[in-house]
Amino acid sequence: MPDPNAQRYDAIVVGGGPAGVSAAITMAREGLEVILIERGRFAGAKNFFGGVMYTRALAEVLPDFQARKPPWERPVTEQGYWMLAPGSVVRFMHASQAYRQDPADAYTVLRARFDPWFAQQAVDLGALVVPKTTVVALIEDADGRVIGVRTDRPAGEVFAPIVILAEGVNNLLTQRHGLAKADLPPRFVALSVKQYIGLPAKEVSARFGLAGTQEGLAIDIFGDATLGLPGTAFLYTDKAGISIGVGLLLEEFVKHGLPPYAVLERFKRHPIVAPYLEGGEALEYGAHLIPEQGYDRMPELVADGVLVAGDAAGMVDALHREGTNLAMLAGKLAGETAVMAHRAGDFSARSLGHYRRALEQSFVLKDLKQYRRMTDFLDRSPHFMGTYSGLVNDAALRYFTAHDRPKREMEREIVGLLRDRRGFFGVAQDLYQLVRGMRG
Amino acid sequence: MHTIVAIKQVPDTSNVRINPETGTLIREGVPAIINPYDVHAVELAVRLKERFGGRVTAITMGPAAAAEALVECVEQGVDRGILISDRKFAAADTLATSYVLGSAIEALNAEDPVDLLLFGLQAIDGDTAQVGPGVATRLGLPLISYALGLESFDPVARRAVVRRKAERGVERLETRLPALLTVEKEVAEVARAPLPNLIRAARYQPELWTAEAPLRFDPDHIGIKGSPTIVGRAYTPPPKTPGERLRVAEQGLAETVSQALAAILSAGVVESLGPVPVTPQQEVSHG
Repeated sequence: MPDPNAQRYDAIVVGGGPAGVSAAITMAREGLEVILIERGRFAGAKNFFGGVMYTRALAEVLPDFQARKPPWERPVTEQGYWMLAPGSVVRFMHASQAYRQDPADAYTVLRARFDPWFAQQAVDLGALVVPKTTVVALIEDADGRVIGVRTDRPAGEVFAPIVILAEGVNNLLTQRHGLAKADLPPRFVALSVKQYIGLPAKEVSARFGLAGTQEGLAIDIFGDATLGLPGTAFLYTDKAGISIGVGLLLEEFVKHGLPPYAVLERFKRHPIVAPYLEGGEALEYGAHLIPEQGYDRMPELVADGVLVAGDAAGMVDALHREGTNLAMLAGKLAGETAVMAHRAGDFSARSLGHYRRALEQSFVLKDLKQYRRMTDFLDRSPHFMGTYSGLVNDAALRYFTAHDRPKREMEREIVGLLRDRRGFFGVAQDLYQLVRGMRG
Repeated sequence: MHTIVAIKQVPDTSNVRINPETGTLIREGVPAIINPYDVHAVELAVRLKERFGGRVTAITMGPAAAAEALVECVEQGVDRGILISDRKFAAADTLATSYVLGSAIEALNAEDPVDLLLFGLQAIDGDTAQVGPGVATRLGLPLISYALGLESFDPVARRAVVRRKAERGVERLETRLPALLTVEKEVAEVARAPLPNLIRAARYQPELWTAEAPLRFDPDHIGIKGSPTIVGRAYTPPPKTPGERLRVAEQGLAETVSQALAAILSAGVVESLGPVPVTPQQEVSHG
């Protein structure tokens, strides 16, 4: 029997990231007594991402979020891709009036500022947020139902009829409870390294041609940025600084013996990139794992007394650099499921199955299902980013240079490039794989 | 039993940078922590409470953000946190600070008699080690600085024996209580706080004392007005260069000593002694 003096709550949330905080907000607003346990010094201390936060999922969790003054860096008013080759770039950027709404669809944020703000909203709505405490185990009853958690502190047991695991990519509790198989193999985990480079706000605006801090850029970069390996680099404008980073499958770092910081440093020294960063001061350096195992390798999301959400559940859409929005919506749905379970007084996996069904009807599992083959695509076409970025740049150079010779010659040369580098059959194969990857 | 611990929130100096032009600390973006010595003072207070019962009050003077530090004290097991904060206290030196803390402690003592006052040895951002002794002087209490630990503590007989770090070794001092101790880190090892403390701290709001309420501090003794200290200049000391090394093994002890003496004399450090004849007497065996 549990200790009668032990702490009891209506729900326990493990982890103070977007999924956990969204779940806590949802449940606290419905009057549940919620305790959220976070291992970092504060919610967000351990959190890290490239830098773009989408507001639609946030609005699902906190409809009045804008009135609560989130610490936005800049709205994303222009976004797109750079295809980088040594010494050159082809830019594919999109700016639109549609990006200039208030609230904007996407903002750049620094997690060290955003996450504490987000957690504070949960506190304001009545949730209890306990930092500096690690949950080391789930407590089960004789039938294997989860009834609480054990933390790494003295007198550290807490009981509740439902536990929401939003523990992040290192999902040890999810694994120990048998919901996830084991640590993800390195081919299904990306490692992203990033620097936040401080520059005066005016300087950031001037370098990227932005009118002020009401405008911002989000650029994903392929090709030479990752030495042509399957992965992406990114460059986002913050209020007074730039977030710059690279992400590769962990396997690639291992296979090529590349230290992550060296890949980032090389990217920062690229002649197209370096001038944007000049004179800036690296204020933050961090690295984080991103679960990219895809739909087919996601853990079980539901068991008796427990739900899994966010990175812990592999809810990342790598293709669209989305994750926090999936996590927020999943957290909200987990919270709603917990509220329903309380009303029904039933915390069995069967009752909690509502969570899985709600996710399947949302974009979270629909998108993950659609892009279920993306990882396989990158696996089979590792040259994709590198080869085509180089090609596009070489073609552009020929196209835009005045050679004083017939244009037909130039056109033939460009087609020749395609044939030599990849072969027409290879191109057809890549296109087929890409479409397959996108269509699911 | 009632213990008051005075703490200070300081920039984490392991992260701090100095503006080379102004010589001042760049505090922006530097995480704030509880002064490390103070954490041990709080721990000692909490241990004494576990043993003898009673209450622990933590007080601090500082900006609004210092409330976080008091919440951390509650996590450690402190019962009550008081933040003394007002723009009128700004730019206080150690004299003004010891006046404010001393007055606050007197008021708290009137409410609930204090048995022990604990201060960290010094704050890592100023290193003066003056505030604790200043408060003891103002309150007319026995002061034991550089306390290493309690050898005995008897709140009933109101006596304690304290080990104190001295220039040459450790002193054992017996004192009456209440007394004020400024403590070294050895005074108590910081234990991992139990979860119920963290749960209590998660919703704890420290009391706020301003310059006027609940106590009225004398406006002439607080803030910049009550602070006669003038900072002439702050600078980063140049790194010390190592001095000349004399090698005993190579040239013998006598020669080494005579060279060392010559160096000392030529540096003029012992000038007042007058000329000293430097004649090597005999080889002294050592080791």
